[in-house]
Amino acid sequence: MAYQLYRNTTLGNSLQESLDELIQSQQITPQLALQVLLQFDKAINSALAQRVRNRVNFRGALNTYRFCDNVWTFVLNDVEFREVTELIKVEKVKIVACDGKSKCFPNFFESKTTLRTLES
Amino acid sequence: MAYFNPVPKLYRSVIEDVIERVRNLFAEEGIEEQVLKDLKQLWETKVLQSKATEDFFRNSIQSPLFTLQLPHNLHQTLQSSAASLVIPAGRTLPSFTTAELGTSNSSANFTFPGYSIHVPAGVTLQTASGHLYKVNVPIMVTQTSGRGGILQHPSQEVFQQLGQPSVIQTSVLQLNPCSLQATTEKSQRIETVLQQPTVLPSGPVDRKHFENTTTDTLVSPGNEHKIMPEVLMSRQESSHYVSLPSVVFSPQVSQTNSNVESVLSGSASMTQNLHGGSLSMSSHGVLHQHRTDSHPHILKNRMYGCDSVKQPRNIQEPSNIPVSKKDSNCQVDLNIQVTDDDINEIIQVDGIGDTSSNEEIGNARDVDENEFLGIIDTGDLKVLEEEADSISNEDSAATSSDNEDPQVDIVEEDPLNSGDDVSEQDVPDLFDTDNVIVCQYDKIHRSKNKWKFYLKDGVMCFGGRDYVFSKAIGDAEW
Repeated sequence: MAYQLYRNTTLGNSLQESLDELIQSQQITPQLALQVLLQFDKAINSALAQRVRNRVNFRGALNTYRFCDNVWTFVLNDVEFREVTELIKVEKVKIVACDGKSKCFPNFFESKTTLRTLES
Repeated sequence: MAYFNPVPKLYRSVIEDVIERVRNLFAEEGIEEQVLKDLKQLWETKVLQSKATEDFFRNSIQSPLFTLQLPHNLHQTLQSSAASLVIPAGRTLPSFTTAELGTSNSSANFTFPGYSIHVPAGVTLQTASGHLYKVNVPIMVTQTSGRGGILQHPSQEVFQQLGQPSVIQTSVLQLNPCSLQATTEKSQRIETVLQQPTVLPSGPVDRKHFENTTTDTLVSPGNEHKIMPEVLMSRQESSHYVSLPSVVFSPQVSQTNSNVESVLSGSASMTQNLHGGSLSMSSHGVLHQHRTDSHPHILKNRMYGCDSVKQPRNIQEPSNIPVSKKDSNCQVDLNIQVTDDDINEIIQVDGIGDTSSNEEIGNARDVDENEFLGIIDTGDLKVLEEEADSISNEDSAATSSDNEDPQVDIVEEDPLNSGDDVSEQDVPDLFDTDNVIVCQYDKIHRSKNKWKFYLKDGVMCFGGRDYVFSKAIGDAEW
């Protein structure tokens, strides 16, 4: 199973909204919508892994960090993102990162506990 | 092409991929193909409506190119100066002067992602604003399925290279001002006015709408059909063309002239505002809560200062009133309790009894309670009752009043305690931001307070705009 991580993106949210509309109009069942989302997870994961080939560097100040259920959540301030073509500056950015070495973590969004551990 | 901005292509491929994957699922469930198409349309519409992709629609295979063929005498000019295709709104093509035009017989094509229009010679086009333009030379805008619309035209490189959004936007959008005019020889003036009655950010919906009425686009003399090419640049950055509103194709004229004027007179900033408000003409309209669903109404609001913005404020105002009522109620209750205490047992020096007149009586009470009890009862009681009455009257009037000085001390105790918990509110706000990166981590390293991030396969969203990366390396200090 692929990460459901990418459902909270523009693409993922728009898909979920569209599916919700179809469910509201009873054109599809919620189970089917879930299946669509699972397919979306696979598609986006593979697309990002295979079709994207650019690198980004960034630097900023770390405001908070959180590590729970093998998911890192950071909030950085005054960050500069550098790509070859452009430079992007943001005041505040939240980074949510799942473990890149493990692919079997479908319930990412259901985790709500807050722990703070440091990697040695 | 992908080098410049891979996001639209990537999103397009993901959408196609997902739709293909679920096609079988839909079939197994016995759901019609139309529903799947609806899902795709909805999805694409929403992605378009967001600012995530600049020229998402340009990379869309579905959108047919809008090729305007201006026959004769235009090809040479277009070849000579591709930049001359830039036509500011409301002005004639500077390049198409009579002297410049050659005698080439080939036709020049302007490519608009959109639809096809054939305007035969002798047709009079009427713009939404009421201007009449007579077409002396046949204008044919053909609908093509691919990207190649312009033949042997240097600018066609500009149009065809859709992977270069900045170039495309500059040339194409500027070709679609409110009034696009192409002039040939003095004897042959082609004035094609491409107007827009509305601003439609939802591209795919419009295309679909238009496709159903393709046959209606033919203009016959005397017909007042309005022909506007649709350039769905709703998300286009204004930095490329600041003063040009986006042009929308709408064969069915349902807009009033006032709307057109409002759009025409508006700048890209207005367009940006409209798009920022996620206005949508489609039935799928994704609108903010404080905006109406009716399009002309929205435009009029925009034109007249956007009263819709005031609505949230109005909503917020009534909420202030119950709060004040609540406060005065609390004060009254406390007052009554204190009053009872004063009358029956302990006489307070502070609190409601903390006035100059009451203090003397209070001090006397402390000395000898029994001796002055009678006097206290009448005098102090009256004062206290008056205060209670005044407070109750104020309460019924539902206003907080300055007469509640004696209760100030009591009232202050509540805010003092309520200010203790501050951290609770910060946490949800802290994590609620527009700029989000969703990715996977290869390694997270920390040394003292220096953090290093090794991330991969991420999607970034900054202020609505989307970016992607395969690898990201970062440093931060905590």
